[in-house]
Amino acid sequence: MPTAIHVPRINNNDDEVKLVALNVAVGDTVIPGQSVAEVETDKAVVEVEATAGGVVLAVRGEIDTKLQVGSVLIWLGASADEAVPGEAGSANDGAAATGAEPTAKARDLLRRFGLQAAQVAASGARLSAADVERHIAALGLAPAGAPAVARAPQRSAPLEPGQLRDLRSDELGMVSTVCWHRDEAVSGYLEVSYDPAPWEALAARVQDEHKLLLNPLLPLMAHSLARLAADSPRLNATLVGKQRHEYDHVNLGFTVQAGDVLYLAVVHDAARLSQIDFVQQLIDLQRRAAGHHLKARETQGMTLGFSSMARWKVSRHIPVLAPHTALMVAHTVDGEGRAVLGASYDHRVLHGAAIAQTLNKLSKPPAPR
Amino acid sequence: MLPDKNDIQLAIKQKVIELAEGMGSDASDLALDEIIPASGYIDSAALLELIAWFEAQYGIQVPSEDLTIDNLGSAVLMADYLLKRKSAN
Repeated sequence: MPTAIHVPRINNNDDEVKLVALNVAVGDTVIPGQSVAEVETDKAVVEVEATAGGVVLAVRGEIDTKLQVGSVLIWLGASADEAVPGEAGSANDGAAATGAEPTAKARDLLRRFGLQAAQVAASGARLSAADVERHIAALGLAPAGAPAVARAPQRSAPLEPGQLRDLRSDELGMVSTVCWHRDEAVSGYLEVSYDPAPWEALAARVQDEHKLLLNPLLPLMAHSLARLAADSPRLNATLVGKQRHEYDHVNLGFTVQAGDVLYLAVVHDAARLSQIDFVQQLIDLQRRAAGHHLKARETQGMTLGFSSMARWKVSRHIPVLAPHTALMVAHTVDGEGRAVLGASYDHRVLHGAAIAQTLNKLSKPPAPR
Repeated sequence: MLPDKNDIQLAIKQKVIELAEGMGSDASDLALDEIIPASGYIDSAALLELIAWFEAQYGIQVPSEDLTIDNLGSAVLMADYLLKRKSAN
């Protein structure tokens, strides 16, 4: 059955990317992990890697054109004779790539998110709503036609003279992210102040033991958050329709400011990593983000977030929820040394007591496992 | 021809001063053999910028396993590391 390679999300803020290179053509055989294309936003060029092996059946993009994140870029098949989904002669024209007919609920979701059945892999005999929800969550898609700017009535223009500047694609994407937070999530915020000494002592021990150049304090806290979320699936979830979608893996997104671009660097399956492996992976991601060299997968699939503004010594930092996440923890230490852990959360998924308990647990280093 | 060790150390210190300024600190008293992460002048994010600058400035890539205090903890250590890498090439 054909496999789709989708247009990746480079950073959380861009819903479109430009195709700048195609490294394969119809008829080529590719192997998993092979670079098949390059896409670009204003700030970064990333390689698109094949998620599976196969023969290129079709390429759905032209060089120098903008493509929607999540759309199909390349179809791969087991052989060159396989029909391209959605084209005349393919099995079950208009149905899923597997030949599975969508259920009524799946059709509704496909329509709401502007998807074709052929873009979504079915897990069973029929394409189910759960299949579509997984696809939506994995690619961080927004409903089709969701406004990129305020839902409120058009405001009047400012009266004072000034210059109109076009927003960069990452700035437009930030508008989109902020609007998801406002329009979809029902956001709440809680914070606790805490004694930073135990965490600082642990970070110093780990830094000394492994002779790390960089202070591992924030990565250690982020790892602890990932482990807490693995133990409490509701923290690592989002709402889809009237159901709570609890993610299979904790993909921890960590904010990295690189120049004037804000990245969410994602450590996949973070909770299964050992403490030091997580620290090393996150440091590697931070280095690549600093050089605008993150790979597409390293900015995708976030299910839970951690952000710190301690370097700016702010006293409070209320983060925006990334699309399809229910929790973003915010760390800071102000100019007087007061340490604060805050959290923005989606009240449709989580209640305040759960957040308060999580923050209180996170305020102390975990007991050794 | 290998770069001069003293020049390298001073360039690194100058970069630290520049990064510290961006954080509101004055690192002009940084000793060349002082451990930079422990000095308090710059944080981890600025250290990453220092490493990125070091790599670009001297045309080397620092592998993850070399990102240690022993290799890159001070301007002196960074210069030694650079010269060792350049000599090996």
